[in-house]
Amino acid sequence: MSSALTEVRRPAEAPAPKQVVRGKKPPGLKKARTFYLFVAPWIIGFVTLTVFPLGYAFWLSLTDSDGLSPRTHFVGFDNYMEIFRDPLTLSSLGKTGLFALVTVPLSILAGLLLAVMLNQPIRGRGLLRGLIYLPAVVPPVGAALTFRLIFDRDAGAANGILSGLGGSPITWLVDPNVRYVLYALVLWGCGGAMIISLAGLQDIPRELLEAAQVDGASYWQTFTRITVPLLSPVILFQVITGVIGSLQSFAPLLLSSGSLSGAGAVPQGNYMYMIHVFAQYFSASRFGYASAMLWLLFAVILLVTLVIIKVSARTVFYTVEPEGKK
Amino acid sequence: MSRTYRWAMWLVLLAVVVAMLSPIAWLVLTSLKSPAEMASFPPTWWPKEPRLANYGDAISKVNFVGATQNSLTIAFITTTLTTLSSAWVGFGFARLSAPGKKQLFVVLLATMMLPGIVTLVPTYLIFAKLHMVNTYWPWVAWGLGGSAFLIFLFRQFFAGIPRELEEAAIIDGCGYVGIFWRIFLPQSWPVIAASVILSFTGAWGDFVGPAMFLSQDSTTLAVAMASGYVNDKGLPMNNLVAAGAVIYVLPVLVLFLFMQRRFVSGFSTSGIK
Repeated sequence: MSSALTEVRRPAEAPAPKQVVRGKKPPGLKKARTFYLFVAPWIIGFVTLTVFPLGYAFWLSLTDSDGLSPRTHFVGFDNYMEIFRDPLTLSSLGKTGLFALVTVPLSILAGLLLAVMLNQPIRGRGLLRGLIYLPAVVPPVGAALTFRLIFDRDAGAANGILSGLGGSPITWLVDPNVRYVLYALVLWGCGGAMIISLAGLQDIPRELLEAAQVDGASYWQTFTRITVPLLSPVILFQVITGVIGSLQSFAPLLLSSGSLSGAGAVPQGNYMYMIHVFAQYFSASRFGYASAMLWLLFAVILLVTLVIIKVSARTVFYTVEPEGKK
Repeated sequence: MSRTYRWAMWLVLLAVVVAMLSPIAWLVLTSLKSPAEMASFPPTWWPKEPRLANYGDAISKVNFVGATQNSLTIAFITTTLTTLSSAWVGFGFARLSAPGKKQLFVVLLATMMLPGIVTLVPTYLIFAKLHMVNTYWPWVAWGLGGSAFLIFLFRQFFAGIPRELEEAAIIDGCGYVGIFWRIFLPQSWPVIAASVILSFTGAWGDFVGPAMFLSQDSTTLAVAMASGYVNDKGLPMNNLVAAGAVIYVLPVLVLFLFMQRRFVSGFSTSGIK
């Protein structure tokens, strides 16, 4: 079974045999030019669609721009100062953080558990994998609408079951209940985490697991001492991408109001950071302030990512040294 | 592993499958209910008289056909350009070398961690100044730039192809463009399949991009769906929402079911880890 880490070391980058042809440019230079020809689309895209907008966003965050009027004033770091005076910004950031804190471990653990089970030789596992992964391909808007229908107060299945059990209906789609709907929605898509963990599990050399079993290790010991450590880079990857994804999540907005234009009308308890950002942009036309908010989010994500990498440095186990550390 | 243990696991998985499929079942059931059934509590499980007319209403209530065309156009532009561009760039990173390559690759990987939302609004302002808002040009630009994740996927795959293939082609007088186009690209169908699924579902499912860059008349299905199904009082008509959502979700599910095997193998052959 091949893995990314071993493939990285394949002779793809080994120097080619030098063929010096008289009167022509040295092959190294020609190769470099060809390399830049190939990566040019990405470099151009990176500069024009990432670096430039980022710089622009930073400039905007220092102004009182409303996105329309040609005259904008430089206000320095006023927008950043205001973030700390705006209770909605801080509370929505807290709610978003809590959302990430709950949903990221939840979906990774669920995905890992399913992956471990579906890595066993059981009947029909290909079909089971496909069916469990299926919800992960449902587009976010479709998923959010589906969950709105399930948790609808009157016509929803959730309250139907509740009343069948003799309970009284719950208004799910408002604070604080809506958070459970969101958790369920995230859990529904844990097939994505499952597929990634499954790919990681299949890369674990079978001999290692067999050797452990020969040595008398129990299933649990094999799992905690071999499987989990060998899977730790995959888990780290999921933690980082999961945090980045959930901090900029839009699902709550769609769940509660159903439209982007309704951003201003979203119930406060369900008010997440990105909703506030969009409300500031499009309802309030405060492009400067909203840009500052995005930079704060960016900084938070960067910080969290760095902390995760730092903390995990001792626990994440690489079979092969990552590229560049040879 | 013992027999009973295996059976227990199988039952657990079966329960998970039922739990995973029941929201879709509920969506389909809801799409067949009458407005009266939608208003009654407790809800009926099975529609008393399945109302297929909901689907017709769902299509006529919003600009469904137009929105679907827009969605398809955007998905087509995104899928084609992103896949080709990512393969092209991935080939460069896998098979060619130049000073600065390593640093560029690190930057590429780092962009995967960049929250996309941060650049979205400034990008909107830039495209607005270029009068490209409400056109498909932004999607062309995004597609041509490739996707960092897909570039990485292609790069991993291309790096695993034996060097002899490339050398033989060079001896035959084939340039690197030819090697990419005639030898490497035709071999990379598992990754192409994964890339097609990912970019298609990404573009089809994207909500924020079309909501920002396109006006309400020229927007995609995702946006039209999310805001269109309300009655004169502004209350959601949930049976129509469900019918619309079924039609909206179906193409992605069908694409997935058809390409599922290739999709999963695309991930394992390129060793994404």
